[in-house]
Amino acid sequence: MFTGFIPIVNQEKIKMRKHLKISTLIVLALAAVLLVISFDEVLNPKPWVENEDYLFPRFIASGIAVLGVLLFFEQSDNEKSTNYKDLLPGLALIIVYILTMKYIGFYLSSMILFFAGVMTYRKPEESNDFWRVCIVRLGIAALFTITLYGLFTEMLHVHPPGGMFF
Amino acid sequence: MEFLDYFVNVFTAYHIALLVGGTFVGIILGALPGLSPTMSVALLIPFTFHMEPESGLILLGAMYTATVAGGAISAILVNVPGAPANIATAMDGHKMAKQGKSKEALHYCFISSFVGGIFGVVILIFFTPPLAELSLKFGTTELFWIAILGITIIATIDSKSVVKGLISGLFGLMLATIGDNPVLGVERFVFTEHLTGGVNIVVGLIGLFAMPQVLHLMENYYNEKNTALKPTGSSTLMNSFGYVFSRVKALSIGSVIGSVIGIIPGAGGQIAGLVSYDQAKKVSDNRHNYGKGEPEGIVAAESANNSMVGPSLIPLLTLSIPGSPTAAVLLGGLLIHGIFPGHEIFETNKEVIWTFIDSLILAQVFMLIIGLFLSKHSAWIMRVPDNFMAVGIMVLAVFGTYSIGNSYSDVLIMVCLGTIMFFASKAGFSAVPVVLGIILGPIAENNFLLGKLIGGARFGDNWILYFTTGTINITLIAICIISVVYGVYSNRKSRKN
Repeated sequence: MFTGFIPIVNQEKIKMRKHLKISTLIVLALAAVLLVISFDEVLNPKPWVENEDYLFPRFIASGIAVLGVLLFFEQSDNEKSTNYKDLLPGLALIIVYILTMKYIGFYLSSMILFFAGVMTYRKPEESNDFWRVCIVRLGIAALFTITLYGLFTEMLHVHPPGGMFF
Repeated sequence: MEFLDYFVNVFTAYHIALLVGGTFVGIILGALPGLSPTMSVALLIPFTFHMEPESGLILLGAMYTATVAGGAISAILVNVPGAPANIATAMDGHKMAKQGKSKEALHYCFISSFVGGIFGVVILIFFTPPLAELSLKFGTTELFWIAILGITIIATIDSKSVVKGLISGLFGLMLATIGDNPVLGVERFVFTEHLTGGVNIVVGLIGLFAMPQVLHLMENYYNEKNTALKPTGSSTLMNSFGYVFSRVKALSIGSVIGSVIGIIPGAGGQIAGLVSYDQAKKVSDNRHNYGKGEPEGIVAAESANNSMVGPSLIPLLTLSIPGSPTAAVLLGGLLIHGIFPGHEIFETNKEVIWTFIDSLILAQVFMLIIGLFLSKHSAWIMRVPDNFMAVGIMVLAVFGTYSIGNSYSDVLIMVCLGTIMFFASKAGFSAVPVVLGIILGPIAENNFLLGKLIGGARFGDNWILYFTTGTINITLIAICIISVVYGVYSNRKSRKN
């Protein structure tokens, strides 16, 4: 049997099939964890716990398990690949934003995220005059934050995380 | 025709000012992801303390109407529904915006909302007594099946694969079970203190829609040309009116289904929008374009979620049972003003209630005028570069999430859910069934457990019979099965094509 050449279309199908297998594995693993937790009270009954606390989750976990098996036999035609190179800097910024917000406050961290975000994602044609672009974007970030502060904190009296500043 | 006697009360300068102000602010708040109609109305209640009861209710009613319609603005322009009721609108609305037709999409949205809204108020006026009796026939098992029906319908319409759609729906239901058991009160799946309060509906909505959108904009910033930068729609307002009124099937399906679902306590606008969208798709000649920017989808969804507003007040006013979460907040507004809903409300507070109901008609008119005015100018949002849009959505999403319960844990849940959804969407899973699962989870579980208790008392170990007998139960089960079978059939057919 000739196996040295795999047409591009087939390669794409094999790649998609691989994605589907990974999805199936994740769904089945999730279902297994949920089944173990939700059936624990039935298998190891405790006198002070009703064994119906997890009744509804048990049905759902069983449903996910059955559908996970069916997923393996699905036709895989709508998976997309991920562009990690462009995604990861943004995701890292978001994580830093969420973690620092608690300490430096919502408004200051939002202004930093806004500025850092629009400076990180910058197309080559936008960088003719770096310092001008930088100052304009910093101004927009400040204006955006002040608008949020005026609208939410001053008008609607909704207070976001304060942190050490405001 | 008693309602006509009190129309004159609405036409005072003060009440007109309240209607215009409430509508304008409502549309703006509705468009902000996280500030749902329920929360917007709740934020406004303190402002009505010092008002006369009828003035306070007029302001709250205008806000309710406007926020439901306003949620479509962000659904269409940035693919982040302002409220759960606008989930179905985003499916075609954002695709239209990406095609440069944001202005038309917003026109269709506000015109359909107006038609649906007027239909709903007419139902409220003329059918209150008989419909209140119908809503009473929906007990625990019927509400359980309604919730399951919502999941099966959305799983079949929003995903290219029914299996993936159902898995997403069940995952949403599972997320809804985190926290206390609604009947027995025991904590479940609380692996960390951040999960103690469970997953809030709006936190789920923001996380599952806003966060993947932000990551998508970042991921494709250098690769994707934003076609939506230039709104090229040449359609005039008259053309938009002409288009909406020519889609009689979608408009009537949306208005009728929205009204019927509105009177079912607890069902809410999200189910109204999705069920109408599904039914309109099934009977449409353009069904293959649904999900690709088909304006009919917007007409069906928006007429439904606004036609739900009036009927959702029927069980509230006559039985003290709110038809939607926002109606539940309105109940608080009524009680603050010393108005106690019940059969005798039209005797004891006749003037206040009829003036309030009449004002809802005028609120729809102002919603249309202000909405169309704003849609003329809101297309500029589509010109905002993707990098600014991404960070702007992120900041608003975090703020909206935090403001729900002043909880940092909610922000963490929102970011985690959104990131998981982003990667799951790469594998073909959709966010809509997950959100609907989170929304319907408490309704489904609560009614399931109560139904089991009642069924156990009646049938002993065969409690399941309580869920599978009765005309309404059997009808709902049949519709669930039909929707799944039809979904599998249409998936296979579209694959073959």
